[in-house]
Amino acid sequence: MIASICRMLAITVVLAFATKPVLAHHAFAAVFDAKQPIKLTGTVTKLEWQNPHTWFYIDVKDESGNVQNWGMEMGSPNLLIRAGWSRNSLKIGDVVTVEGFRSKDGSSNGNAQIVTLTNSGQRLFAASSQAQPAQTR
Amino acid sequence: MKSIPASIALLLFVSVASAQWMKDPRSSLPKKSDGTPDLTVPVPKTADGKVDLSGTWLADPDPRGSRQNVENMSFSQYFINVAADLNPDEVPFQPWAKTLFMQRLQSQGKESPTAHCKPSGVPAMNSVPLPFKIVQTAKFVLLLYEENSMFRQVFLDGRQPVKDAEPRWLGYSTGRWEGDTLVVDTVGINDQVWLDGMGHPHSDQLQVTERLRRRDAGHLEIQVTINDPKAYTRPIMYTQKLTLLPDEDLLEYFCSENEKDVQFFK
Repeated sequence: MIASICRMLAITVVLAFATKPVLAHHAFAAVFDAKQPIKLTGTVTKLEWQNPHTWFYIDVKDESGNVQNWGMEMGSPNLLIRAGWSRNSLKIGDVVTVEGFRSKDGSSNGNAQIVTLTNSGQRLFAASSQAQPAQTR
Repeated sequence: MKSIPASIALLLFVSVASAQWMKDPRSSLPKKSDGTPDLTVPVPKTADGKVDLSGTWLADPDPRGSRQNVENMSFSQYFINVAADLNPDEVPFQPWAKTLFMQRLQSQGKESPTAHCKPSGVPAMNSVPLPFKIVQTAKFVLLLYEENSMFRQVFLDGRQPVKDAEPRWLGYSTGRWEGDTLVVDTVGINDQVWLDGMGHPHSDQLQVTERLRRRDAGHLEIQVTINDPKAYTRPIMYTQKLTLLPDEDLLEYFCSENEKDVQFFK
């Protein structure tokens, strides 16, 4: 019984690791909530191109016109650089649409999975070999 | 969604790539007809005729993994789980090790050393998604890791680790050549190290053996044996495959630079 529970748990965790984003230095599940997907459009206010994770911040306007600043985490800049991107790929003032997952603490922070320049539709930070825009997941 | 024309995309990519000092197109490897380095040429040799393991290496991603996250890459399965090749109920835990492992799983990795910017340690540091560089000499081999700019020294001069040496994150490594394979034994790994992201534990009896074999110029295999009778009733083995980054060098990486995730732990 215990063995089968352990096995089930282990499989669940393996699956969670395998199918959810695994970040370079921490367990995704402790920070972000895979059950809370978010899609936000906003204007970039700040970029932190630093390890272990790049962060950028966007001002997002809600329906009543209130502006909230969201922090979005990406991977290590070292990984992004190897995929052909740089700290100049995203600029303050750019309008981006971000798909990702909200932080578990319910604050205005999330993990970015897909970043797209809203006006041109160009996907940012995808692998250099990937010519086409984001696939839906 | 609109996609930008391929020619513009290529131009953008080339201009970005050429701006990085770490990209050096003067690869020592011969080029294929498409201009990319030929990773399948024979293994280079040192002046004294030994196989030369030198180069910048990156662990291969899990072939069954899906590309994830903004970088669109998947990571090595052994970075996550040193027992990835075993069924979960075949992992030869001693009872205490199983209990501790389950506790770590249930805490979702919050106590993982790397979550707190501590080293991944031996053997996980070969499987992280950041490269390392091998510098080979006749008397020692240096392993320079991009992760937190760490290094290991593997002494080939016959010395042995001091008995009861203070346990460390990267332990004490000695090596010897068996034909074309460099065999590295590491002991003295401290109890803060997790063997992988899931949290497989170990005891003070842990000995890690890494057998490094360069199959051709562009491909390295590290056969890892985790021998720890206090924690596991038999050794755990896996083979981490790595690919040469022929035109690249290491970058700086300090995890403590801007780590923010711990504040969101819940």
